[in-house]
Amino acid sequence: MSGQCLLQPSPSRLFPLRSTSTTLSPSVNCRIGVSDYVAVECRNLCFSVSTRQGISVPILRDCSFRIPSGQLWMVLGPNGCGKSTLLKILAGVVNPTSGNVFVEKPKNFVFQNPDHQVVMPTVEADVAFGLGKYHDMSQEEVKSRVIKALDAVGMCDYMQRPIQTLSGGQKQRVAIAGALAESCKVLLLDELTTFLDESDQVKV
Amino acid sequence: MNHSSLAIPTLSLTVTLIPKHPIRHLPPPILRRNPKLVFPLRVNETPTSLAAKRVVRVSATVDGNEKTGNWVNRLPIPGLGAENVFRLISSATGSPIGQFISSPVTFLHSVDPRIKLVWLLTLVVLPARANIVVRLGLVVCTALLSIFVLPRQVWMDQLARVSLLSGILFITLGLGSDGAPAMLQSRTPPSTITSLPNLPMSLSGYSYMLLKLGPLQFTRKGLSVGSTAACLTFIIFQSASICLATTTPEQLALALRWFLFPLTYIGVPVGEIILTLLLSLRFINLVFDEVRSVALGIVSRRVNWKQLTALETLDIFASFIRRIFKNIFRHAEQISQAMIVRGFKGESSSHKIYFFSGSSNKIADFASVLCLIGVISTALLSEYFLV
Repeated sequence: MSGQCLLQPSPSRLFPLRSTSTTLSPSVNCRIGVSDYVAVECRNLCFSVSTRQGISVPILRDCSFRIPSGQLWMVLGPNGCGKSTLLKILAGVVNPTSGNVFVEKPKNFVFQNPDHQVVMPTVEADVAFGLGKYHDMSQEEVKSRVIKALDAVGMCDYMQRPIQTLSGGQKQRVAIAGALAESCKVLLLDELTTFLDESDQVKV
Repeated sequence: MNHSSLAIPTLSLTVTLIPKHPIRHLPPPILRRNPKLVFPLRVNETPTSLAAKRVVRVSATVDGNEKTGNWVNRLPIPGLGAENVFRLISSATGSPIGQFISSPVTFLHSVDPRIKLVWLLTLVVLPARANIVVRLGLVVCTALLSIFVLPRQVWMDQLARVSLLSGILFITLGLGSDGAPAMLQSRTPPSTITSLPNLPMSLSGYSYMLLKLGPLQFTRKGLSVGSTAACLTFIIFQSASICLATTTPEQLALALRWFLFPLTYIGVPVGEIILTLLLSLRFINLVFDEVRSVALGIVSRRVNWKQLTALETLDIFASFIRRIFKNIFRHAEQISQAMIVRGFKGESSSHKIYFFSGSSNKIADFASVLCLIGVISTALLSEYFLV
């Protein structure tokens, strides 16, 4: 185990899969606080929702963990235990009720359903959408990144295809390409392989 | 078709029947009393007893007697049931409407989208102003262009629907616009009132009334109104379809932004308009998908509509609409979340939208501009020469 799991006993569990960086030594980054080697860190994270009757239902309770840079980790747990909610909190879509969250930037998040992720009508425009926040990026560089990202997911031949003509798996690959094009340091993937066939799952 | 006539009950061959509607126990097929099957029967060989062509002659008459007089009215009318409505909804929203076709690449794909927008505007204005000959010429040209540019299945489907719509418009407006009896709106008082001889017929054969069908009459005014409406409908629908089929939404948005750019000097939020347009183009397909999937979901439940009262049926329709809106709002919320995650801060001015318009072919651009000038000139000249 190259990382440290600080989760309280709960249905969901955090597992490191493999290190993607050969130069990183995971054993040196066990310090709480913003470190160069820490990609994601949560401490005492709580999230709850209120029902119509005003009852507070806890989704995440006192969740703490730290994930070093350059590693691939997976959250496992039964349905409805709060995995997607945790990822949304890390992505900044949902604000936690209490606790501290640190996620290294730039970060990106691929939604469970690709229809929720893809916002532009055609493939190339959607992959380029996330690059719109970099004002200093030239058109040529954007084009180059889009082509590289689509090539990485095997969708280079579909650049001008309308999104609605793609299958679920192809939409998922476009969503992944959109995340890859930004060259993020943290990539949050919510059930990435749901819509993919077996060969694509192996590629991922 | 009766499924029972397809079954082969006495052989060990595996025959799989795929019923169109619910699986039910089929009655045994009616076979000849002594079917002489040749054994051993080889695979893919049709039994001789089944090879004979069955011809069933059915005749019926409506003779007006009390027993059979209204039997036609008692026939079930397909297409009016709730399940058929849901089937229609699911199939209608499943067909792509105005969708970009990336291949085969035609010369229209390489025309500048700004020229295409000017063409569209011209084709909206011209048919309403031009002579009927020019109007019909534009219809023929648009139809030929569709055949030349679009794939066969697409143009056949589109031309059939648009022609049907235009035909209905032509007939209804042609007969209805000036169909009232002439006595009520007489341009010349009848001779019985004025006690004057009838006006002589035109020497050139001019006649205001072109066709008379019983109480209905097809006049020159009807021809003008009907042909204008029909031609305009055909040209607008078909030209927009050709434009959307050969231009990506981003290219259209880029062209529109180019035309609207001067409005930014008077404070028009062109960037927001273009982003809204792009999001709408994406969202329209999501709405179609949602309507189709919810309709299919209801059809797949195999609701026994005959057992439901009218109120219960209405309740299902209401829940169908409620579900669609709920899902659409959820989609909108999720997409807005995705936009925030991908760096959109809520201001279109701070988020750059990249348009990959592709390289337009200068020769195609030049040819299309020349054709545009030619069409406009023809339409203008027709007002003087084809009166």
